[in-house]
Amino acid sequence: MTDTVSVSAVSKWFGLKVAVSELTVGFRPGVTGLLGPNGAGKTTLMRVMAGLQVPSQGTVSILGVDPRQDPAIYAKMALVPEDEAVYERMTARAFIELAARLTRVDDPPGRAQRVLEIVDLVDSAERKLGGFSKGMRQRAKVAAALVTDPEIMLLDEPLNGADPVQRAKLIKLFVELGAEGRTVIVSSHVLAEVERMSHRVVAMVDGRLAAVGDLETIRAAMTDKPRLFYVECAQPRRMAAALIETEGVVGVHLDGDRIRIESSDAGNLAHTLPRIAVEENLVVNRVEPVDESLESVFRYLVKGG
Amino acid sequence: MTLVRHLYTRVMKKGRFIGLVALTLVPALTLAFTPLTDVGRNMATHYASILAGPGFTFAIATLILTAATLREERDGGTLPYIYMRPISRQSIAAGSITAGILAAMSIAVIAWMATVVATLFIDGGVSDTLGGLVLFTSATVGYAAIFVPLGYLISRSLLVGLGYLFVVETILANAVSGLAQLSIWRISLSVYLGLESDVDESVVDEFLGTVEPGAGGGLAKLAVVVALGYAVLVWALRKRDAL
Repeated sequence: MTDTVSVSAVSKWFGLKVAVSELTVGFRPGVTGLLGPNGAGKTTLMRVMAGLQVPSQGTVSILGVDPRQDPAIYAKMALVPEDEAVYERMTARAFIELAARLTRVDDPPGRAQRVLEIVDLVDSAERKLGGFSKGMRQRAKVAAALVTDPEIMLLDEPLNGADPVQRAKLIKLFVELGAEGRTVIVSSHVLAEVERMSHRVVAMVDGRLAAVGDLETIRAAMTDKPRLFYVECAQPRRMAAALIETEGVVGVHLDGDRIRIESSDAGNLAHTLPRIAVEENLVVNRVEPVDESLESVFRYLVKGG
Repeated sequence: MTLVRHLYTRVMKKGRFIGLVALTLVPALTLAFTPLTDVGRNMATHYASILAGPGFTFAIATLILTAATLREERDGGTLPYIYMRPISRQSIAAGSITAGILAAMSIAVIAWMATVVATLFIDGGVSDTLGGLVLFTSATVGYAAIFVPLGYLISRSLLVGLGYLFVVETILANAVSGLAQLSIWRISLSVYLGLESDVDESVVDEFLGTVEPGAGGGLAKLAVVVALGYAVLVWALRKRDAL
């Protein structure tokens, strides 16, 4: 399968700050998660792919065309920007119809009605966007993107602010769009969110490509990393003594009432810890992963790569 | 057409519209409170001197409106909704400048009509007021061609625009004759005064300086300004970051 979106040796810097560095990656039909911690350069990459920002170096190709050179490609491409920016004084319906009219699609009112139904905004269609919650704005933006029936969809943190029910609906929608053969690129800093949409992931850290591939590969890379946990219990010395025998535990350190555990097999630790507590009759008050953040995982991937 | 209508509607916010109309009523109010008998001039000269002086408030109103045409889209983060459309950059540039012109013209018509009413109030003849519409229209086109691209390119375009109006167009253009030739206000005045034969020579000299009155020459200069502004905006849309 050929890439529909190609990013070739793209760098983007703002003064001395490098937002994206020498990044080469391709995207195919289906949903791809663009994953990375805040500040990783996801939004800049999205904007460069969308043609909103000029790459300092390198090239971008959307269906074989550089969007900066040929705006006609925008008939086949849509972006849901990260920020909440919408036309505050405009109703949801007018906003979506504007997108349809500017893209010169047939029957803007009819299409607007259909996408309003898809994103569950029919009841609020005549309300001004300024009064919308963050989640509703996100759905309005998704609708404005969908109304042009694009082949390529760039969705920058589209689930921000959505409530759990809407989040589930939007994820289902993105999966369906991908299954229809559209190229759907969804950026997120939440691994679990991306996991529900796609198995293919492009991971970024500090403007660089950290990993590309399916989630299983990335997860495997993550499990190689010794991870830190704090355990709070009534008798930390006894617990520490029992834990040191556990497979995968590479370090145990007493820190007051807490035990700092370094483990290369978090899965095994999760099974063993409750068993030890039962067998030794120890009360565990709290288990806290220290470096579970996506950022630390990605930093590890970068260092390992 | 959709783009022009959208940009026009967006820039014509109610509060801004009321404020700018109030600002551009200054020449009409000045006319209303300085009766002809007090200044001892003919109506054409009196009207021209007020338009050329206090009428400059219209240039400020035009700056505020036209610089906001694309700047508000950029600052508000909504530019992608316009930019990412299968519309040529030339069409976006032309549409933006047209929207700026139409917005400023809406204010211009009100400002001009107010001067007509003020002229009637002081018992002057309305025949001399038609030139006011010519002045405002010329200024609208010239300033829109400069300030729409400026608004797109520079985040503090309002400040830069005010600096241009007050430092370049009023102070430097008086001191440096070459700069007077580049002043949009003087070019617009030259179009207006080129059509008015009854205005005293002293007033023409006072406000135009080294710029020769003449509708043809003024319009030609304005055409060049519009072509340059349009070219700069097309270039910026193509080559510069949109966000």
